[in-house]
Amino acid sequence: MTTTTPILIIGAGFAGLGMAIRLKQTGRDDFLIIERAGDVGGTWRDNHYPGIACDVPSHLYSYSYLPNPDWTRVFSPGGEIQAYIRKCAEDEGILPHIHFHTDMQESRWDAEAAEWVVTTDKGVYRCKILITGTGHLADGHMPDIPGLDGFTGEVFHSAAWDHSADLNGKRIGVVGTGASAIQIVPEMQKIASELVVFQRSAPYMIPRWDRAYTEGERRMCARDPQVVEDLRSEIFWSGEFNFAQRRNIPRFLNEAKALALGHLETHIADPDLRAKLTPDYEIGCKRLLISNTYYPAVAAANATVEPSALARIENGQAVAASGAIYDLDVLVFATGFEAVRPPFAARIFGTEGISLDAHWDRGMQAYDSIAVNGYPNLFIINGPNTGLGHNSVVYIIEAQVDYILGALDHIAAQYVEVIEVRPEAEEAYMQKLDGMAAGTVWLAGGCKSWYVDQRSGRLTLVWPDFAHSFREENGTFHPEGYATVAAE
Amino acid sequence: MLDTQPYRQGAVTVDGVTVRYRVAGPDNARAPLVLVHGTAGSIDGHYGYIFPMMAYRQRVIALDFTDPGHDRLDLAHLVAQVRAVIEAEVPTGPVTLMGYSLGAVVAAQTAAEMGDRITNLILAAGWLKTDTHQRMRGRVWRALRDQGSENLTEYMTFCAFSPAFMNARTLDDMVKAAGMLTITPFVEKQMDLNARIDIAVACETITAKTLVIGCTYDMMVPRHHSKQLFGAIEDARYTEIPSGHAVVHERAAELFYHVDRFAAQPDGFAAGTIIPAQKP
Repeated sequence: MTTTTPILIIGAGFAGLGMAIRLKQTGRDDFLIIERAGDVGGTWRDNHYPGIACDVPSHLYSYSYLPNPDWTRVFSPGGEIQAYIRKCAEDEGILPHIHFHTDMQESRWDAEAAEWVVTTDKGVYRCKILITGTGHLADGHMPDIPGLDGFTGEVFHSAAWDHSADLNGKRIGVVGTGASAIQIVPEMQKIASELVVFQRSAPYMIPRWDRAYTEGERRMCARDPQVVEDLRSEIFWSGEFNFAQRRNIPRFLNEAKALALGHLETHIADPDLRAKLTPDYEIGCKRLLISNTYYPAVAAANATVEPSALARIENGQAVAASGAIYDLDVLVFATGFEAVRPPFAARIFGTEGISLDAHWDRGMQAYDSIAVNGYPNLFIINGPNTGLGHNSVVYIIEAQVDYILGALDHIAAQYVEVIEVRPEAEEAYMQKLDGMAAGTVWLAGGCKSWYVDQRSGRLTLVWPDFAHSFREENGTFHPEGYATVAAE
Repeated sequence: MLDTQPYRQGAVTVDGVTVRYRVAGPDNARAPLVLVHGTAGSIDGHYGYIFPMMAYRQRVIALDFTDPGHDRLDLAHLVAQVRAVIEAEVPTGPVTLMGYSLGAVVAAQTAAEMGDRITNLILAAGWLKTDTHQRMRGRVWRALRDQGSENLTEYMTFCAFSPAFMNARTLDDMVKAAGMLTITPFVEKQMDLNARIDIAVACETITAKTLVIGCTYDMMVPRHHSKQLFGAIEDARYTEIPSGHAVVHERAAELFYHVDRFAAQPDGFAAGTIIPAQKP
């Protein structure tokens, strides 16, 4: 069965839905979304581990055009974010456009028809314009642990939490100390008989200024939308301020470091544990974490911080790189996502028949962080150089959606059949980004992170500037960067 | 490894006193940006964020005012210091001049006097003519100072920040911030000068493309002053930041956004435009 649609969107998370909602709001109905799972929400659907919450305050981490007065906390729990996303999809009439349980297996450019041919497990789609909204945090990364098959207890990834597993009173190992791990660990510490945290490198952590909103505050937000707008502005610009840390300005970097190390000192009295928990790189090089509960949890009597990676499983026991051996009943892999080489890229084949993943053998790159030469009529939302270390990615997504709306207007007005970024425009954009990235803490901070592609040493994931400048530079379509072929 | 930006120190002599300044950032198509601080300020105190961040975009020059040493400080003394720095560092060609608070008053007067040398002007939380509201505040300040009150810097801090900014912090944090202010004889002279400002006539003669930035919750120099500047300067556009007077601390990144955008494209908005806030 072949389905034909002018616009096909892959993924129904913040990006894909945001695209669809804006298409609908601007009067377009000619699109479909394919979604591999059975619900909207993307990473917020997949991640439902105990303790999940967002690191960006909710009043900002939401669509600007669909404010939600009902957030219960400054940093709302993940379930609430997922419910918000679902409500947006329902209210805006997007659900009928979504084909659920439909996994994109291959997208191939058909030059003759000037269309994308998208093969899924539910049939073939043909579309003029292909838009990916597959996100950075879509496919869990599982490290290759020798002997893991021989582990007899429960094993799962943080993004595929097994709620049927009984963890009470168990000996639980958490692998990783990233953003997911630090939310999971305090929850596990409460229920485990013993907890071991495998820490390859200690993260920086700052206090979480969280609190519940009262009913009165929620009603205030509902009654006066200006209150929400003011809050969004306040949160956004406080976040923007912190770009100076990532930019690596000593004064601001040192202020952040003092805050983080002060937080560590406040909570961790034991000098040995404090030493283990002290990072060995510059703050912000890896994602800066926020938590009030992680340090108390790892300082608890039933918790152990193993200051090395999980190396292998031997005789059913967990062996750390340091040689330490632990008897465990459960292993939770909070080991992050395939962000540097997103799996969707291996499934998209352009004009030369080469996959985007192979094309990106020196790391991801895209003109205006959205389009790739050799892959016409394709727009990538939340792809290369769109991540932020200091602000809300929903803001970036909205800017990219605006860009695509502009591109679609241009395509319609000029009767464009094929639109492809010029290679020299893409190269010039990347040179500009390289210049902007030089000297930032992501490159100069002395760490290994998922922001940088180790094959090239390039900063491929992060937009190395303020979020507002992303909108200034990439929030409007730039026809001059593209070559187009008009319909005859 | 910190990205320690190299900056060059410079100095000029004006009326027999040394005025120090810093220069950083690449020379490019943008006019060099000259930053003028306000009362009780300094490069680090008022431009600790804008100076290094703008230096990633363009050439930036910032000066620290020096007490000329007279009993009474006049606007002309400070204008002379700004002029001397501009003449030393940008002897020819266009200049973007930015002032904050009293620095905005100095910058406006300088722009009026230097004519087409100052092609672009940014006035953040500045004013045209001291009014009763400001004089009342100055009177309380003077009384606390004369009493040697320990609450003087707390009073200044209370006036400087918006309720929203304070409420995101603890009382302790705010008291600590107040403790970092030092009142020198030079600051006293600046406070005295603040009570005597009237640049209404000069503002009518400013030809520079001007961006006036008012602060919505400013209790020291309320935004009606910025609107007066917006009206008085012919080629002016106006925008507002939802901040107290201490916008250089409270909303440094938003201030950067407006400064950067205007410095890149001074004619991005026509004269008379009220530039809307960026809605995130």
